[in-house]
Amino acid sequence: MWFRNRSYAAEWRTMNRKRALKCDTFCGKRGRSGAAEPLPAAAGGGGVAAGDRGDRVGGALDIKASLEHIMSLLPGKLWSDTVPRIALKHQLYSLHRDRTRVDRHLNELREQGDVLMFQLGFDSESVAVVFAADFKAKVLAAEVGRATQGPVEKFLNTVLASCCDMSVDETKMLQEFLFADSEITQLVKCGVLTVKDAGSWWLSIPNSGRFTKYFIQGRKAVLGMIRKSKYSEMLKSDLEGRQTTSRVKFHIQYHIHDIVGAELVDCIETTAGVLLRFADS
Amino acid sequence: MLSGGADGVVVIYDLENHSRKPHYTCKAVCTVGRSSRHVHKFSVETVQWYPHDTGMFISSSFDKTMKVWDTETLKPAEIFQFVENVYCHQMSPIARKHSLIAVGTKNPKVQLCDLKSGSCIQVLQGHRGEVLSVKWSPRYEYILATASTDSSVRLWDVRRASGSLFTLDQFNGDPSKSSSEAANTAHNGRVNGLCFTGDGLFLLTTGTDDRMRLWETATGKNTLVNYGKVVNESRKGLKFAVSQGCSLEFAFVPCGSSVAVYAVHSGELVTMLKGHYSNVDCCEFHPDYQELYSGGKDSNILAWIPTPRPPDIEEEQDSKKGGSQVALNPAFEDAWSSSDED
Repeated sequence: MWFRNRSYAAEWRTMNRKRALKCDTFCGKRGRSGAAEPLPAAAGGGGVAAGDRGDRVGGALDIKASLEHIMSLLPGKLWSDTVPRIALKHQLYSLHRDRTRVDRHLNELREQGDVLMFQLGFDSESVAVVFAADFKAKVLAAEVGRATQGPVEKFLNTVLASCCDMSVDETKMLQEFLFADSEITQLVKCGVLTVKDAGSWWLSIPNSGRFTKYFIQGRKAVLGMIRKSKYSEMLKSDLEGRQTTSRVKFHIQYHIHDIVGAELVDCIETTAGVLLRFADS
Repeated sequence: MLSGGADGVVVIYDLENHSRKPHYTCKAVCTVGRSSRHVHKFSVETVQWYPHDTGMFISSSFDKTMKVWDTETLKPAEIFQFVENVYCHQMSPIARKHSLIAVGTKNPKVQLCDLKSGSCIQVLQGHRGEVLSVKWSPRYEYILATASTDSSVRLWDVRRASGSLFTLDQFNGDPSKSSSEAANTAHNGRVNGLCFTGDGLFLLTTGTDDRMRLWETATGKNTLVNYGKVVNESRKGLKFAVSQGCSLEFAFVPCGSSVAVYAVHSGELVTMLKGHYSNVDCCEFHPDYQELYSGGKDSNILAWIPTPRPPDIEEEQDSKKGGSQVALNPAFEDAWSSSDED
């Protein structure tokens, strides 16, 4: 018999209790999966103790810890010293259930100047997150000895320090920050600014082209693995255990967080674990 | 309850549950069927009761007409003819001083028809695409929100001749976050659903970019509540509902063949209501019964009824009659009982 009259209120209350329990085991899962490094004990403990509902004092620290965890999934040997470690904002959604809270804490971190956010360009919704200190160090290291070092240092000290935006336009650069046209050209040349339209520029991560290429290749390959399997679905644990082709240069967990957070696959809870089903839309 | 179908038929149901059973079927009280002379020729898009009593209702359809019906005789008292397909209409639920019906059609101009005089008296210009949804504010009788395929949502004060009050901007006026094409848009695709919350202070909009956004109506600010991906493939307007009378407001949004229930202010997906066999097109919430009604392509209208939880029992003296602590959905309850009394 097909019961259609649902009691959504009753189910919501029982589900609410179930979710509170799941939170405790969730932090444990992070430790088990793949090459995840152990999270700093303070943030991990704070996360479990306080429960997931409502604002927590350690909320922003928790987001920071998740960002570090995601960045640790990037391979060490492939990563040259010129590119900072990049995480994508929607990867955080796969680690934390409440998206609005994640957004809010990330904005707090951004306002404090700990993280920087960039529009990556291949997707209007993908936003890259890097730690500010890491970014500045890598950019300066790449610029040592080159002619563009001066303007880049000036840029890092003035523009990044004061405004938290993802793009700047001409009037702002010329008047507020007193850059000359030639300096702006040099900034574009070394990759810190990318053209958006006439007279405005996106802030960007220099030398991030290789990252974007590998990222898109890897995402396509992982999605292809799921799509080719029977019924276009796979258990997450199976996917983690699969041998990846040479197209996938990053750790597969990085791509799993990406596709789950961007909702390119549906996560379905089953008795055998989480099932990832390709969402075609 | 008033409902309009894709075959042009309008049916009125009696929602009262006269049988004491937990599962019941609502009977149709009267219909304007295919045999009626005045029936709509094409799909009925929007139906609405006259806000002050049930003596009259208004229906608009893809046959480019909007008809004002007398419920008793089921004959149209007034027919408004339009040049293009009518996507939606609404009459203000709280209006005392005016009886304007806002109509959204394929034409970018929003038309305001007056019920008293029987003609279209005002046109709101500003949109650049088809108007998929119009909604009056439940707080101020002159404020109207319209959503269009040009990705923008505009708020109008109909007393003002000069144009819309403001356009909702998803980036809150921050030029740095958007590309130039996306500036001043509410969504990155067509905006096809609008719903005010019960107090009229917030507006929910859904778009074909698979996002739902919550806005403050007073300022037009995007509250940045993140609901995740709200699957939306509707080419016409999407009709969804927000609960009224609950302390935590819920939005009921049709997503594919189920109805998604979101907590409005926190953005969390509470549950998915599965029961339809095909796409769900519309949802409506009854504030007095606190029930949700959803209609879909499978020709079914389903009623979703919340089961109240029995009060928590402090002490359990007799375990036989104690009752369970966990709320049991009556649909899954055992009808068999070993005791003599039911």
